[in-house]
Amino acid sequence: MSIEINHLEHTYNAGTPFSHQALKGIDLSIPEGKVTAIIGQTGSGKSTLVQHLNGLLIPSAGTLDICGFHIQPLLKIKDIKQLRKEVGLVFQFPEYQLFEETIEKDIAFGPKNFGIEEEKANELVRKILPMVGLDESYLQRSPFELSGGQKRRVAIAGILVLDPQVLVLDEPTAGLDPQGAKEMMTLFMDLNKKQGKTILLVSHDMEHVMRYCDHVIVLDHGKVLQENDVRTFFEHPEWMIEVGINPPAIIRLKMMLQEKGFKIPDSILDMPSLVECIKGQVNGHE
Amino acid sequence: MVMNNIALGRYMPLDSVIHHLDPRAKIMVLLFLMIAVFIPAGAVGYVVIAAFIVVALFLSKLQISYALRAMKPMIWMMIFLLVINTLVIKTGTPWIQWGWFSVYSDAIYQTLYIVVRLMFMIILTTILTATTKPLDLTLGIEKLLKPFEKIGLPAHIIAMMISIALRFIPTLIEETQRIMNAQASRGVDFENGGLKEKIFSILSLIVPLFVSSFDRAEQLANAMEARGYDPNRQRTRYKVLKMKTKDIFGMAMSVVILGVCLGIWIL
Ligand SMILES: Nc1ncnc2c1ncn2[C@@H]1O[C@H](COP(=O)(O)OP(=O)(O)OP(=O)(O)O)[C@@H](O)[C@H]1O
Ligand SMILES: [Mg+2]
Repeated sequence: MSIEINHLEHTYNAGTPFSHQALKGIDLSIPEGKVTAIIGQTGSGKSTLVQHLNGLLIPSAGTLDICGFHIQPLLKIKDIKQLRKEVGLVFQFPEYQLFEETIEKDIAFGPKNFGIEEEKANELVRKILPMVGLDESYLQRSPFELSGGQKRRVAIAGILVLDPQVLVLDEPTAGLDPQGAKEMMTLFMDLNKKQGKTILLVSHDMEHVMRYCDHVIVLDHGKVLQENDVRTFFEHPEWMIEVGINPPAIIRLKMMLQEKGFKIPDSILDMPSLVECIKGQVNGHE
Repeated sequence: MVMNNIALGRYMPLDSVIHHLDPRAKIMVLLFLMIAVFIPAGAVGYVVIAAFIVVALFLSKLQISYALRAMKPMIWMMIFLLVINTLVIKTGTPWIQWGWFSVYSDAIYQTLYIVVRLMFMIILTTILTATTKPLDLTLGIEKLLKPFEKIGLPAHIIAMMISIALRFIPTLIEETQRIMNAQASRGVDFENGGLKEKIFSILSLIVPLFVSSFDRAEQLANAMEARGYDPNRQRTRYKVLKMKTKDIFGMAMSVVILGVCLGIWIL
């Protein structure tokens, strides 16, 4: 079942002098089993949008259908816990949610909240830990003595352990080193490819979006500016420049070459074919 | 979820006479009126103070509902007071008599007195904080404490502490909200559940909050030190406060009210 969003609006602090409309009528259909990127400038409403997906925010207007739940203004969601289990939400800088004495307990915290027995929960923890690149020696350590990147892994494990059907990630790699970021993205792709999980990724990193995602949604000032498959989107660099997003390196290189008179078709998006294309033209010139 | 309802102490960016008063004057008015509220000057005293509050509220352009909302957290305390007073105070004329249960007039009057005083104090404080930017408020406090520096009171340090605390209140609220959201996503239910679950859910909020607050405090201290902050150094201010006629008038009014209350009490 895809995620259907209809005319969704959200106003923070409605009815006070601080009232601010962060989402101004969003219409979207997010495909199941795909990796969808949500991009846009800072303050465009990405985090606000994704917080609707597991019922943390309720729309001011419009509706949202996700995993069999129908969400609309003023209506209390029945069985909201079930929704939170189906839709796993990893926040920006999730390391701030750690609080237990040991990593084992912290990761097991979620499953226990959803009524899973302690032993079963600990078993799940043992299964999830290697997936985020940490070994069993970490189980009994305190989460507060880890490095920032390791904390992030533990926090993400705390959501993955719930085995959600839809995984929503708000800038999961912000502040990680390139190697760590790559490992994280590989993990998410595995979850998508092997377990068929629907993944929503909020990201500022266009390299990641281009490499890993199937679908791109561009938000701008609380509106959907674009909804496209990744290829089409990156074949039109002018769209990115329009909303102030820095295109990936290869696109920038392509644009520079085009400026210098090379004829490069829009469809070329990877380095080998770009090299091939230039080679052809240089040789032809000689 | 919960945090957006905090009305007490939030600055409301409006444009009114009260907003433009000198913070020192506003603090002094609050001080005088607080004293007046505690003087047992009977109904007349309260009417005079109430009149002043109504005028101030009107001039401040704040919504009445905003001021009333600030009192919401007090309702339980008021009910509690009422219950205790009816049970304990057995003087005056008995108004209700049902078997062993009786309510005496003094119990009601006592409760009313306390409730009215509390209401006055809350509304007055709300008007002050809603019409004065936190930074101006601290500046006002610092200037008012200045004379006490002679007897060793570190006015500047106190003001700096207050302004740092004030500066971090919104950050803390935001942080609380964020952690609550993150834990709710892990299945914590902050609204329902028994005592044990409640304690655990609060723990999952408090611990990360402390951790990040300590982090932040350390970062701030380092940043201040790195820029050569020395609490004992003399410094000038970008903003210089100046009392105007309206400030003097406001203070004079509050002194008059204080005088009236004192007069009624003593005479
Ligand atoms: N709790 C809140 N209360 C009031 N306004 C908010 C709140 N959270 C966000 N906003 C406002 O809503 C708008 C959208 O914010 P949002 O956090 O969704 O942006 P974003 O696209 O996630 O940005 P970033 O890339 O910086 O994370 C911003 O203008 C922001 O100031
Ligand atoms: Mg965001």
